[in-house]
Amino acid sequence: METAAIKNPGPVQARRTMSDTWYSILLIAPAMIIILFFALVPLFYAIDVSFRQADLTMGGIQGFVGLRNYRTVLHEPYFWQSVGTTVVFTFFAIVIEMGLGIFVAFLIHGATVGKGLIRSLVILPLATAPSVTGLFWRYLYDTQFGLYNYFLSVLGLPWQPNWLGDIKLGLWSVIIFDVWLWMPFVALIVLAGLQSLPKEPFEAAELDGASNFRVLRTLTFPMLTPVLMLVFVLRTIDCLRLYDSVATLTRGGPGSVTETVTYFLYRQGLVFFRMDYASTMALLFMYAVILASGYALRPLLARLAMRAGQR
Amino acid sequence: MRRKMLSIIAMLILFSVLAACTTPTQAPAPTQAPAAVQPTQPPAAGGCKDSDRVPISWSTIAGFYTDAMTSIIKDFESKNCVKVTIVGIDNAQLYDKQIIEAVGKTGAYDVYNIETAEKAGFAENGYILPMDDYIKANADKVQYDDIAPILADVTTKYKGKTWGLPYYTYTQGQFYRADLFEDATEMAAFKTKFGYDLKPPTTWDQMKDVAQFFTRKKGEMLKGKPLDKDFYGIGLMAGRFQEIQDELSGMILSKGTDWLKDDGTIAVKDDGNLWALKFYVEKLLPYAPPAALTVTYDGVMNQMQDCQIAMTANFFLDQWPNAANTEKKCPGAKMAIGVGIEKTTYIGAFLMGVSSSSKHPKEAMDFVAYMGGKEAQTKFASLGGSTTRISVLKDPQFNTPESRTKTAQFAFLLQVFDNMKTKKSNLFYSPYGAKLYNAMGPIYHTAAAKEKTPEQALQTLYDEFVKICGGPKCAVNK
Repeated sequence: METAAIKNPGPVQARRTMSDTWYSILLIAPAMIIILFFALVPLFYAIDVSFRQADLTMGGIQGFVGLRNYRTVLHEPYFWQSVGTTVVFTFFAIVIEMGLGIFVAFLIHGATVGKGLIRSLVILPLATAPSVTGLFWRYLYDTQFGLYNYFLSVLGLPWQPNWLGDIKLGLWSVIIFDVWLWMPFVALIVLAGLQSLPKEPFEAAELDGASNFRVLRTLTFPMLTPVLMLVFVLRTIDCLRLYDSVATLTRGGPGSVTETVTYFLYRQGLVFFRMDYASTMALLFMYAVILASGYALRPLLARLAMRAGQR
Repeated sequence: MRRKMLSIIAMLILFSVLAACTTPTQAPAPTQAPAAVQPTQPPAAGGCKDSDRVPISWSTIAGFYTDAMTSIIKDFESKNCVKVTIVGIDNAQLYDKQIIEAVGKTGAYDVYNIETAEKAGFAENGYILPMDDYIKANADKVQYDDIAPILADVTTKYKGKTWGLPYYTYTQGQFYRADLFEDATEMAAFKTKFGYDLKPPTTWDQMKDVAQFFTRKKGEMLKGKPLDKDFYGIGLMAGRFQEIQDELSGMILSKGTDWLKDDGTIAVKDDGNLWALKFYVEKLLPYAPPAALTVTYDGVMNQMQDCQIAMTANFFLDQWPNAANTEKKCPGAKMAIGVGIEKTTYIGAFLMGVSSSSKHPKEAMDFVAYMGGKEAQTKFASLGGSTTRISVLKDPQFNTPESRTKTAQFAFLLQVFDNMKTKKSNLFYSPYGAKLYNAMGPIYHTAAAKEKTPEQALQTLYDEFVKICGGPKCAVNK
């Protein structure tokens, strides 16, 4: 009966469908208004500013200058240096976070006792703001009073690294901090993915005598791919936006080896008040992130679309 | 249907709550600054009800500078029908926050706290009001001539006008461990090594020798006793902060040069500037703790109190109470003050300037005049503040053995002001001063961190100056 009603909607059903449409619009309207106001208005404003002369301390936002800001930014060596720093940071941070996160997730998944406690402990770094933990880590890294160098000396090692003052170590110090902060996030998401995998294929593989490696290669990882892709994209976007860790740990130093795009952008916008350059950099950066994440998410989206089509 | 109805009712309730939360009951308040410090409500001044008080706000650095001022502001409020709100902002964000409010003309702050290098920009852009007429009309109250002349000039003057009053000076001198310089063993060893007597350095070459001499490894002897940790000859503020520029400024000015010439020509690559950066990086930094590359003034004070360093380079004299604290924390330490190497240092003070967007400029000027005036400055000095007034610096009550740990720097400040009376940087008279100043710290630091050679760093700095000023000359308006 119900199937027939859906196939041949009568006048009453048609009215109800109309009503559902408006009802849906009504439901999403508040969220859309907020998004439009807080996301799109600033975005369009930034686009507008990127085509103007806008030095806040010298006349404010002024006339249209065409593509001049884009030319200036694209020819700015420090912008490209900060892009390079951001890419290097993102690459190493993601590789380590994903590798360690997956490893820890498997460890927790396989644990027989204390799983809940381990999960709670793992989540601790995520429970505080990076700006707070960054200040804390600044003291841990300190060459005079820091715990890390103290432990190195207790172990009898002569090496007393200048974690935040050595240009060869500065970026690695930020990467280590980021891994400590975000590896648990990767681990938890992957753990959730592992726990939601169906048991039947694994039982069948066990009956067939498949080795652990084969199970991992042919079952676990392929089935986890959507989760891994999602966490990879989320972490990549987050790493590309890195600001707070740099602001609290190194302020872009030593030298300029940890000056990421966002920190450079902050300095242009809120130290030199060149809103035109800052807006232009932010937009270029945003386009790049959208393109990269769109490209990375394409297989996942295609798979989801395929599943939706099958239904 | 019932579920839908319930959902719609729930949404209506939600909207109502949101609307109630967002509907202003009064006119929208100006942008709120972080960490507002609420003043204590004083008893109403003769006949002035609390509700009649004119509200003014002062944006300033959170911390000691503000804490010490609270009780002084109470005095001001007891004599004036004004209510002052101190808005304490972290030093790193103060300039940004003030500029944003000034550009937006929000009127959120009636009185700004302005660094010496920022004054010309604030004045040029019309963010602050000139106070010449007020000072003239209230000459007895303001006593402008009582402010150290060089300090008054660099901190308040621009284009022939006076833009406020300074209330706190962070002019530099030098701190050193006198006990090390008076130790017979050390004196003999120094004489043997360098061929002249050990004494607090007065030239840069002497400073290099002394810094080198006192740099020792854990286990070596200092004052006849083995060291339980590495010891360094000098503490430097070489981190990626602005203070590295302050530290270099005395060196640059001592060579008779500047960042900008009198006609505004950018001089950052000249011989004097190059000498200063090379000497700093190659001759001084090797004798500073490794943490020098990550710290600013508070880090150097920590090193001093932790018995890690023998002396500072040119250093902010307002930090004397912290330096003197070394005597409590570091056994056997005896602290002393110098007037700066080659009698040339950084001169500066916080200027209190009245916002041109202030709704109550008269009351704001009264407040500035009071805080910069003798009465308030005397009280400020008694609380450990570094005053800008000559009469207070000379006040005998601040030159007693009892006040030594708080105000011993006063006598040296007078000498520094005298030594520097003809030396003033053109940077302080350029409307681009704040931007140039902000550009310098990170770039000088690249040389200190050995990411760039001093020559490369100065070329970068030159390029940055050209970019900021729009050419090889920056406007300079004395």
